[in-house]
Amino acid sequence: METTYPSLSELFVFLNTTLTQISIYYSHIPGSGILIKYIKNSHQDDPFRTILELLLVFFAIIYLFTNKYRTVNKLIELTPQEVEELVDEWQPEPLVPQLSDDDIKEFDKIPIINGPQGSRVKLINGKSLLNISSFDFLGLLSYESTKEKTIKTLREYGVGSCGPPGFYGTIDVHTEFERKISEFLGTEDTILYSQGFSTINSAIPSFCKRGDIIVADEGCNFSIQKGLQISRSIIKWYKHNNMEDLERVLRKIKDEDIETGRRLTRRFIVSEGLFANYGDITPLPKLIELKKKFKYRLILDESLSFGTLGKRGTGLTDYFDIDPNDVDMIVGSMCYSLGSSGGFCSGSFEITEHQRISGPAYCYSASLPAMLAVAATESLKLLKQNPGLPLALKYNTALFKQLLNNIKYLLLNGSQDSPVIHLRIDEEIVRVGDISDKEKCLQDVVDEATNNGILLTRAKYNRSQELFNIEPSIRICINASFTKKEIEKVASVIKNAAAKVLRNRVH
Amino acid sequence: MARSRSRSFITTEKPTTYDEDQFALPNLNSNWVYYKGAWLVHIILIICVKILFSSVPGVSSETSWTLTNLSYMLGSFVMFHWVKGIPFDFNSGAYDGLTLWEQIDNGAQFTPAKKYLTALPIGLFLLSTHYTHYDAITFLVNFTFLLVVLIAKLPQLHKVRLFGINQLEVE
Repeated sequence: METTYPSLSELFVFLNTTLTQISIYYSHIPGSGILIKYIKNSHQDDPFRTILELLLVFFAIIYLFTNKYRTVNKLIELTPQEVEELVDEWQPEPLVPQLSDDDIKEFDKIPIINGPQGSRVKLINGKSLLNISSFDFLGLLSYESTKEKTIKTLREYGVGSCGPPGFYGTIDVHTEFERKISEFLGTEDTILYSQGFSTINSAIPSFCKRGDIIVADEGCNFSIQKGLQISRSIIKWYKHNNMEDLERVLRKIKDEDIETGRRLTRRFIVSEGLFANYGDITPLPKLIELKKKFKYRLILDESLSFGTLGKRGTGLTDYFDIDPNDVDMIVGSMCYSLGSSGGFCSGSFEITEHQRISGPAYCYSASLPAMLAVAATESLKLLKQNPGLPLALKYNTALFKQLLNNIKYLLLNGSQDSPVIHLRIDEEIVRVGDISDKEKCLQDVVDEATNNGILLTRAKYNRSQELFNIEPSIRICINASFTKKEIEKVASVIKNAAAKVLRNRVH
Repeated sequence: MARSRSRSFITTEKPTTYDEDQFALPNLNSNWVYYKGAWLVHIILIICVKILFSSVPGVSSETSWTLTNLSYMLGSFVMFHWVKGIPFDFNSGAYDGLTLWEQIDNGAQFTPAKKYLTALPIGLFLLSTHYTHYDAITFLVNFTFLLVVLIAKLPQLHKVRLFGINQLEVE
């Protein structure tokens, strides 16, 4: 089959007429002249530039007409059927979880006190006990004058403060307490928190954020651990109370700084004054020397040491005779020695003022009830009026430690002056298994002591949440209000109980 | 752990363990980019800069357009593609590794704000070539600066750092 091709001239004629036709149609579009003029003007006898510009226009058009998409958290599209299946599969957890056998045993062992808390308590079965597990070290809980004043405040101000401190929650009694505690500690200013536990884990993240470096003691309590976690900072741990290790960690960070040339961020050292989990005192003079040498700021949790250590009972700075302004932030609690509730952070005016707008627990929690603030102020007044209280505590502690010096089966941990004492099983003498076995042994000692008129307690932890493994222990808190006779009784009961329970487990 | 500066040509900002922090609070640092008023400000600023350069005696139209182009490209590059993180402590450092461009719309691509901010420098460049008679070198300078800004805006370069420049040192 033969096809007739159009001749070349015919093709040109066809193309020409088509183009002319198109340009005529195009000139009918309104505004088309402008574009022609623009291209003619821009062309400037350089086709290369025109092509580049056209490419840019194409790029812009493609970019403008591309659909939006997410780069993170791509949403999963589910069909209604899949949604239905997921809903059917879902089994709600019970509101109150079933108690395990261990839980039931644990709860059964918890003694219930009938009447007020104090150094001498009465159980619901009518038994009178000496309470050697209370954090009320100075016995300030049982002062009648404080009780009367607190009840009077309750009648005057009501129960709650009904607002966060920044929003109508602050009243005269709060500012008065802040002023008194600053006076007592010798610091510039103090901020009052409504819970002791959330004081330090609010103070730490209010200053630290991601990229900052915090060097912390491995023995720090649970509250500090949570504060460090919330801050998202880089956490470096040093061995418990080991200043050589602290210096090693600080030096390593400094070397890394020089090596990588990274930007300088905020640096903090966090430690506890008197360790709740170990009952020993941090060597503050060395700590301050290192902090100054490596240019760090120091956050010191004085929850337990406040009221118990030092001649005046102001805590570790008093104990070591150090200017409190050398410690950048002193964090304390009113739950312990002051026998009230709440916490405080003391330091320079800038430090407290910053927390008033950025401390989570200060901004988002209702302020301390007026009566508790008054109770704390009263206790503080009593502490000032009775300078013998911390001394009596020191005396009782020394006496107790001397009496327990030759205890068998148990180890006496902690610093000499610490009123918090942890008794741990001496594994060289006693044969024990894992942690739950040790806890069981210690619980038996506690029960035996309770039968003999001493209210003891094991130190209890949320072990799934704790960062470091802590050996089970019996925690003893010496009270200043005990007489010499009572201390002797406590010591002998504990010795006998330990001997009775642990004797048949000797290697 | 400190990461030493990478020697490779292309590195990507690694996802951190706290990326979910980025959704905990609105990002007050990048929210203003969506406002139509902020869009207008770009144009107003460009006009102001152009008038400023044009009013200097002895400056030709080519020079003033080139200077306008360069100042806008440089300014927007520093603002959107160089400075990282947030100047305020709103998000606990959740955006420390990200430039403002990467923060806009939580990293979503081809959103109206990004389309506008991409079209604007292209428009500015085309306008300037239209009103001037650039010689080859001036044209090339203008075009290169535009290219740098456009490349930085590409979705393919999201969270990507070239030559380890401007990489976050701390993980």
